[in-house]
Amino acid sequence: MQSKLKEFDPILEVNNIFASIEDLPILKGVNISVNPGEIHAIMGRNGCGKSTLSKIIAGHPSYKITKGEINFDGNDISSLEPEERAQSGIFLGFQYPIEIPGVSNLEFLRVATNARRKFLNKEELDTFDFEDLVKEKLDLVKMDPAFLSRSINQGFSGGEKKRNEILQMALLEPRIAILDETDSGLDIDALRIVASGIKKISNKQTGIILITHYQRLLDEIKPDFVHVMSDGQIIKTGASDLALELEKNGYEWTDNFIKEQ
Amino acid sequence: MQIVEGIKNNTLFRNPSEIQKICLDKLKLNPLPNVKSEYWRLSNKSKFSSFLNHKYSKESTFDFPYKNTSEKIIRLVIGENSSINLKEENFSIQQLKENEIVNYIKKNISMFDQNEQWSDLLNLGLCSKQNILGLNISGNKIPPIEIFSSSSPESFNAKTLIIFFEKNSKAELLQINLGNDNSSLSQSTYFCLEENTSVNHGVVSFGESKSNLLNSLNVIQKAKSEYILGLLHYKFNYARFEIRINQLEGDAKTNLKGIQITKNNDQIATYTKMQFNGPNGYLDQINKSLADDKSHAVFEGVIVVPQIAQKTDASQLSRNLLLSKHAKIDTKPQLEIIADDVKCKHGATISQLNEEELFYMRSRGLTLTEASQLQLSSYFQEIISCIPVSKERWDLLDKLLQEN
Repeated sequence: MQSKLKEFDPILEVNNIFASIEDLPILKGVNISVNPGEIHAIMGRNGCGKSTLSKIIAGHPSYKITKGEINFDGNDISSLEPEERAQSGIFLGFQYPIEIPGVSNLEFLRVATNARRKFLNKEELDTFDFEDLVKEKLDLVKMDPAFLSRSINQGFSGGEKKRNEILQMALLEPRIAILDETDSGLDIDALRIVASGIKKISNKQTGIILITHYQRLLDEIKPDFVHVMSDGQIIKTGASDLALELEKNGYEWTDNFIKEQ
Repeated sequence: MQIVEGIKNNTLFRNPSEIQKICLDKLKLNPLPNVKSEYWRLSNKSKFSSFLNHKYSKESTFDFPYKNTSEKIIRLVIGENSSINLKEENFSIQQLKENEIVNYIKKNISMFDQNEQWSDLLNLGLCSKQNILGLNISGNKIPPIEIFSSSSPESFNAKTLIIFFEKNSKAELLQINLGNDNSSLSQSTYFCLEENTSVNHGVVSFGESKSNLLNSLNVIQKAKSEYILGLLHYKFNYARFEIRINQLEGDAKTNLKGIQITKNNDQIATYTKMQFNGPNGYLDQINKSLADDKSHAVFEGVIVVPQIAQKTDASQLSRNLLLSKHAKIDTKPQLEIIADDVKCKHGATISQLNEEELFYMRSRGLTLTEASQLQLSSYFQEIISCIPVSKERWDLLDKLLQEN
């Protein structure tokens, strides 16, 4: 995929996206634009379409875009396979990271990292070089190297799974990372470790979308924009204090907003 | 069906051996198994006919599928005048005398159920003396053993292997069945494990275009013996595996791990019967099938726990993966329990490649093919790890798995 990006163009533009799963409409005209270096937070009730939006951007085959387009680095990616999107720099941190028994975490990470490196015209890493790289990244999320020799996410606690997601993000060095409820199931210490990892990985060239229910992650990572989603739409966008307002007043006002609409 | 006609008309042998005479006489009365019986009903009739429709041959051509890179490995080829008489400080491998073989087989035949052990009856009826390999193994520092069995193109070959493992022996044995183009191989194997014996046995079978295989394995385990079996069957037009294990006195351990991979229009079936004849027996069994294209995989396994087999601990699991909507899998794990103080469980699953697992891997940049291969290799791994294969031999398995 040839990038048409100019220096200050958005990394990601979601333009009036409508999407459904098995003919059930979920997204009903979502718009969001993420520039390099920006951190966006998407908040909203369960079932409002937050996770669907993340999966649509990552290319989950079960979801169908019925209208609109998604531009990544200036190119429409709607027709790209999930692996093409990932290789070009889109990263989705899963709310529930999948356990894959029998598949070595280390081997999986190596194949994934090399797929991304190949796209970036970087030299692919052999097992030994990769082990050096991965050990360096493990420090970011304070993960025990023993996890590398286990099957992907199998037998990991909730916190370990989320750390493994951030480890993958660190290895893949994405252009944009969409982190779907990365804070769920984490105790305070684990949340700090994960948040610190995210902060260390993000830079002026990276865009981040944090999907969350709670202010506590946003206390650790201050967003530039907060979007409130309801019934498949972004109904309000504001600065970081919007999250505080939501924390204080809850989501009831969103129901009234939808009724008024 | 050339073989059946040959049996009926006495045209296969001029001077059959004593064993052959006994078996052929039995077969003349009922030359074919009862295809309506539970044990045979899922066998594809036309493929089964093609198995029997080759010219019988005593001779077979053989090429090793890979080089022997280690002097430590003992290689034997059934039917190739393999003679072995090793007597070292820590072990011995000696060929059985003809009368020992005859007596053992005669004793076995007297207990045959003609329908259930039709495959063995056919094998022994057609197996000439030169194609029977009998060994007596003892010791606990035995080098890895490889035993090959093969069919010739356009032919029907029958091979038999008998091994007595002496008390306290410990062995690793890899048996490789090779099916040549358009051929049929009947392979019957008999193991006797004496007290306190430990055997890690691998059976890897793979064929070429339109090759057929009828393989039976009969194992008798005495007390305190441990038998680990790893099976991999792949690429046969028609293949049928019958495995019968008898823990004669109980108090023994059996570990069975098998995988059969079917593609194209293949049919591969595995039938196992685990018989506990004493208390404190143990079984851990997993059989996996992986069916693609328009192929058909069958697994039927039965565990028999009579009154005498109290405190038996047995588990049987059939896990199956359908890779195509035209492929078919039949699976039937069964328990027959009379004893009342036992722990037995069984189960079966049939599934497709997990879409969410695939998406997870693809969302990290792995292509669909890479993700599927990783998922499949994890599916194989549990079984392959039970096959006693040295590092040098991984090339062969790797090739087989890459082809899938």
